[in-house]
Amino acid sequence: MSALSGVGSRRSKLTFAVSVYLGLIAMTAVFLFPLLWVIGLSLKTRLQVFAMPPLFVWWPTLENYIGVLSQADFLQAFVNSLVVSSGSVILSICVGVPAAYAFARFPFRGGSFLFFSLLVMRMLPPIAVLVPMYILFSRLGLTTTRLSVILAYSTFSLPLVVWIMRGFFEDLPRELEESAWVDGASRYAAFRHVVLPLIRPGLVAASILCLQLAWNDFLFAAVLTNNATRTLPVLMAGFSGGDTGVDWGGMTASGALVILPVLIFSFAAQRHLVAGLSSGAVKG
Amino acid sequence: MGGTTTAVRPAALRATHGAGFGTTGMQRWLDRQFTRIAVLPTTAMMLLIFGVPLAFSFYLSFQGWSPEQALFAGTFAGTANYEDLLTDPQFLKSLSVTFVYTATTVATELACGLGIALLLNIDLPWIGLFRTALVVPMMITPIVAALSWKLLLDPDHSVVNYWIGSHIVWLGRPDTALISVMVVNLWQNAPYVAVLLLAGLRSLPSEPVEAASIDGASRLQVFWHITLPLLKPYILVALLLRTIFEFRAFDNIYVMTSGGPANATMSLSMFTYLASFVRFDLSLGAAASWLMLLICLLLCLFFIAVIRRREAN
Repeated sequence: MSALSGVGSRRSKLTFAVSVYLGLIAMTAVFLFPLLWVIGLSLKTRLQVFAMPPLFVWWPTLENYIGVLSQADFLQAFVNSLVVSSGSVILSICVGVPAAYAFARFPFRGGSFLFFSLLVMRMLPPIAVLVPMYILFSRLGLTTTRLSVILAYSTFSLPLVVWIMRGFFEDLPRELEESAWVDGASRYAAFRHVVLPLIRPGLVAASILCLQLAWNDFLFAAVLTNNATRTLPVLMAGFSGGDTGVDWGGMTASGALVILPVLIFSFAAQRHLVAGLSSGAVKG
Repeated sequence: MGGTTTAVRPAALRATHGAGFGTTGMQRWLDRQFTRIAVLPTTAMMLLIFGVPLAFSFYLSFQGWSPEQALFAGTFAGTANYEDLLTDPQFLKSLSVTFVYTATTVATELACGLGIALLLNIDLPWIGLFRTALVVPMMITPIVAALSWKLLLDPDHSVVNYWIGSHIVWLGRPDTALISVMVVNLWQNAPYVAVLLLAGLRSLPSEPVEAASIDGASRLQVFWHITLPLLKPYILVALLLRTIFEFRAFDNIYVMTSGGPANATMSLSMFTYLASFVRFDLSLGAAASWLMLLICLLLCLFFIAVIRRREAN
């Protein structure tokens, strides 16, 4: 037990540090193994993939990646994913940022109800919104278009933008806009020329978090797209049909290419991850 | 509306300073309407993608309606859709599967997440590297994560079966199928809980812990009597969020089992998806989605009440 009591000797501190490192290394190995193994599969030839016992050391090949990148289907889905994700981010930022500013600065009648409804929109199961949305969108001729997916993604990205940006606006000192108003600037001019430039870091954080959610979504895109407009997760889900008949190399290489961009933007926004995760939680 | 801090200034000042911006009556009216105009797009968007669809599905859930009919041409069916659901063994099974799935995954995620967060909170050289590495699984596209695990659990060619030296058809047996989809979820979301709780641990005051260790409390005592109570609000938030997100379980189940075998992994989302978009019984789907909404709303209200009560104390 002496090793556990914090104010022990130098030796017990060392034992403690070593055991923490061992625990961390074991945990990291467990959590990263599935991903590393699958990335390993993507670098094997067809024969190596199905080798029994599994190969742990081999000469990596890029043939699966070359195969995937020369498929029109994959490239089309990649473009669709890009269009749909960036479209939904732009839409939510344009619609949500002014509202977040109003929520942070000008308490108004019905404001707390509106804010609460936004949180509810984020919390309710997407399939429940999707059933009627599918019917209404198909009557409007929107289903199978990328626009319908962009609109549908607002159910999660709009609350996220409003939640994150409200926090950024609240942290901004009021005096900045007030002095602009005193100088005769309209609310719009003050917002556009004084406030917006100052919260650019917030805009970046909110955009990246929305981009990640939109890129990873499957359910909305699966229902609202067809073969021409499907996004990457929908294309990937197509691999789940067969079993060992499926081309494991092509599938794992596509998977790696799907997660690569999302890992890049996630690490870019790592500082803001917690704000994004807790959006939807009701605090204060 | 809007005008909480409108600066009231003498006319002379306005004339000199405001010259460049212009102060016509129209502009002053627009300025007073700023708040309304700022929230208008959000309100309109919410009505379009949330309010109207939910109202329509509420209406639809009391109708007998098929996709070939006009929107409001269904026949009133009373509560028949709801009665059908509550007597459908597959729906009842999906209720119990969702309940078991949510409770088990949330409990294990919280336990693992807390453990990870505690380890990551210890200040040691290179700890940042582990913090970065351990959040990777939660960023991965859920569909890709589920496909990856499907390969890892493949009966004939997988590394898992090779290591345990047997031939288990993980996704083909009701008991192991449910465990498998839960493991994928745990793998992705324990890091999510860890990130939230680590943020909580970092923001706790250090004085109580220091005082207790000077008084001779062991690490275990400090954790149990000081850290854990202080961390409780963060644990509640994690519990709320994970419960809401596990309740909608879909992606991993769709890819790995599609609800089978023998409905062992039929979550409510999967049931509603199959009813609405495979069998195209959309009025039944609407009724199922309203039952899901009600359960989810009750869960949220319960947690919000708990969190509010804690804050009031």
